[in-house]
Amino acid sequence: MSQADAPVALDIDQLSVVFDTPDGSLAAVNDFSLAIRRGECVGVVGESGAGKSQSFLAVMGLLAANARVSGQARLGTESLIGRDVAELNRFRGVKLSMIFQDPMTSLTPHMTVGEQIAESIIHHLGSSAEAARARALALLEQVQVTDAPRRLDQYPHELSGGMRQRVMIAIALACDPEVLIADEPTTALDVTIQAQILALLATLKRERGMAMALITHDLGVVAGIADRVAVMYAGRVVELGTVHEVLKAPKHPYTAALLASMPRIDDAGTGPLPAIGGQPPNPRRLPSGCAFGPRCAYADDACRAERPSLIGPSSIEGTRSVACHHPLDGTRHAREST
Amino acid sequence: MTEPLLQLRDLRVWFPVGEGLFRAKRNLRAVDGIDLQVAPGEALGIVGESGCGKSTLARAILRLVRSSGGQILWLGRPIEGWSTARVRPLRRDMQIVFQDPLASLDPRMTVGEIVAEPLRVHARDLSRAERRERVVDMLARVGLPADVVNRYPHEFSGGQCQRIGIARAMVLRPKLLVCDEPVSALDVSIQAQIVNLLQDLKRDFGMTILFVSHNLAVVRRLCDRVLVLYLGKPMELASTDLLYSQPRHPYTQGLLAAVPVPDPDLQPQRLGGALGGELPSPLAPPSGCVFRTRCAHAVAACAAAAPQLQPVEGGHEVACDRWRDIGPYGATP
Repeated sequence: MSQADAPVALDIDQLSVVFDTPDGSLAAVNDFSLAIRRGECVGVVGESGAGKSQSFLAVMGLLAANARVSGQARLGTESLIGRDVAELNRFRGVKLSMIFQDPMTSLTPHMTVGEQIAESIIHHLGSSAEAARARALALLEQVQVTDAPRRLDQYPHELSGGMRQRVMIAIALACDPEVLIADEPTTALDVTIQAQILALLATLKRERGMAMALITHDLGVVAGIADRVAVMYAGRVVELGTVHEVLKAPKHPYTAALLASMPRIDDAGTGPLPAIGGQPPNPRRLPSGCAFGPRCAYADDACRAERPSLIGPSSIEGTRSVACHHPLDGTRHAREST
Repeated sequence: MTEPLLQLRDLRVWFPVGEGLFRAKRNLRAVDGIDLQVAPGEALGIVGESGCGKSTLARAILRLVRSSGGQILWLGRPIEGWSTARVRPLRRDMQIVFQDPLASLDPRMTVGEIVAEPLRVHARDLSRAERRERVVDMLARVGLPADVVNRYPHEFSGGQCQRIGIARAMVLRPKLLVCDEPVSALDVSIQAQIVNLLQDLKRDFGMTILFVSHNLAVVRRLCDRVLVLYLGKPMELASTDLLYSQPRHPYTQGLLAAVPVPDPDLQPQRLGGALGGELPSPLAPPSGCVFRTRCAHAVAACAAAAPQLQPVEGGHEVACDRWRDIGPYGATP
């Protein structure tokens, strides 16, 4: 069964997140729709404030108390939005797991690694303590923690950052989830350890057939393991397509500009980088029309007048969606287009 | 060659740790035997993983941490033993830009006061008007309008705060600018703006840059030469061209291979070649070559003696006894 016809594991539909603040309401995510199939990894990329983390915190029911969520997210046939904590806890950590950027603050400092992995196995699967410990050991070995039997009885502070992130992944996998949400899982790690963790996530996805959302600001990270990519800007998806489509022939000027502005390790160029001018917009004062308009080389009156909606694959070609009045023709490579 | 701006001879920074009633004193060798010459106008990158000693090395050069041994020669004069008071006038010529753009600016000072402070300390003969003019000029140079002088750091984004930090460091026109991870906290689209700004400043003022970074792609873009550190020791030193096109040290090769490229045709294979293992404890570094525990090419001899930097060609130096067998691209032995 190819990925394209695999059943949808997580279906996010028209999700919006608004925060009520003393200074008025703030729209963090607007009309976010994404279906992730079994065995598929979708990279969700964007800069700080683009709404990538908030979208998935909404799916997990982990948003701050002043957030209002509308739209829908379904795990199989179960709806996730608007459920109370007890109901959500039937899925969270079981069918739906999440790992975070900072592996130190996400682990409990006063429990051993073994206890923290076993906790969810005992709670959700009703295993005995011995069975849970055996499974914890097996999980640590699966995520390639060295010297796993000794690690079971160690505390988080005794482990390196890379080892802690492996423990986080082991906890997330403890109940064999259908969906894994990884929020900047390698951002706090050294580049050599990042490569190890990404290789591990790619293996786990392949072997377990999990659906995975990989949230990152690094287009290089998604290039290695994602099948599809959603690019977000100012709370909206501006481009969605296969990793080849989006990274090799971007249609949205923001995607192209982001790719061109990244210095690459395999680029011997020494001249100035084609930087994107200006700043990401303040979500309280979004420009009229296209939010990227003020920083876009192609923007015209139409872009300032009307916000382009995300035009789906049926209107363009293949599997691609783009929200732009003047999409690039997609045949040029990003670095040549500047 | 013109006289080096800066020379390091066997520079060491050791931190005593773990001293207790029943425990012997041990030394954490953060920087352990660095020899280096930096020419005026050169941009030297210092790279390596967290804990390799790159920031400590930069701070030792600025005399922000005390070195434990070896020499620091500034324009030919050894300054490592100088008192703080004696070093202070030199600071006019050596400035630093830090990683966290907001945390490195005093929240209670206006941008104008922040950028003027180095002038108040080091250029006391300037009148208020002259000082203001220099501040506004420098702010314009880093891309900020004159009206920012009366505003406070919290009103600015990370990228703008980093411009303010660069203006503060540059307002004295230092000979040496140390940049400690200056773009690591910034968003991708802002990183490129700051990299371009540093390139412009280097070209226009002819200053020397020490660029400490774990971001090897940014270093390739900005630096003329690169020093690779591992557990406080030099692994490889080469021109940027040679280091990136023909890396000789297995550590450099592994480090370069680990950097992701945004190309789905290349990146999945690159992941497979990731360097294994983790940094050993700096309190118990491996004997001999400190990198040998993660090195695919290590042989028994590597545990016996620590390899010294040895010449390859054209100023390219590598601290590996097996570099001739390994080849420039990390082919298997």
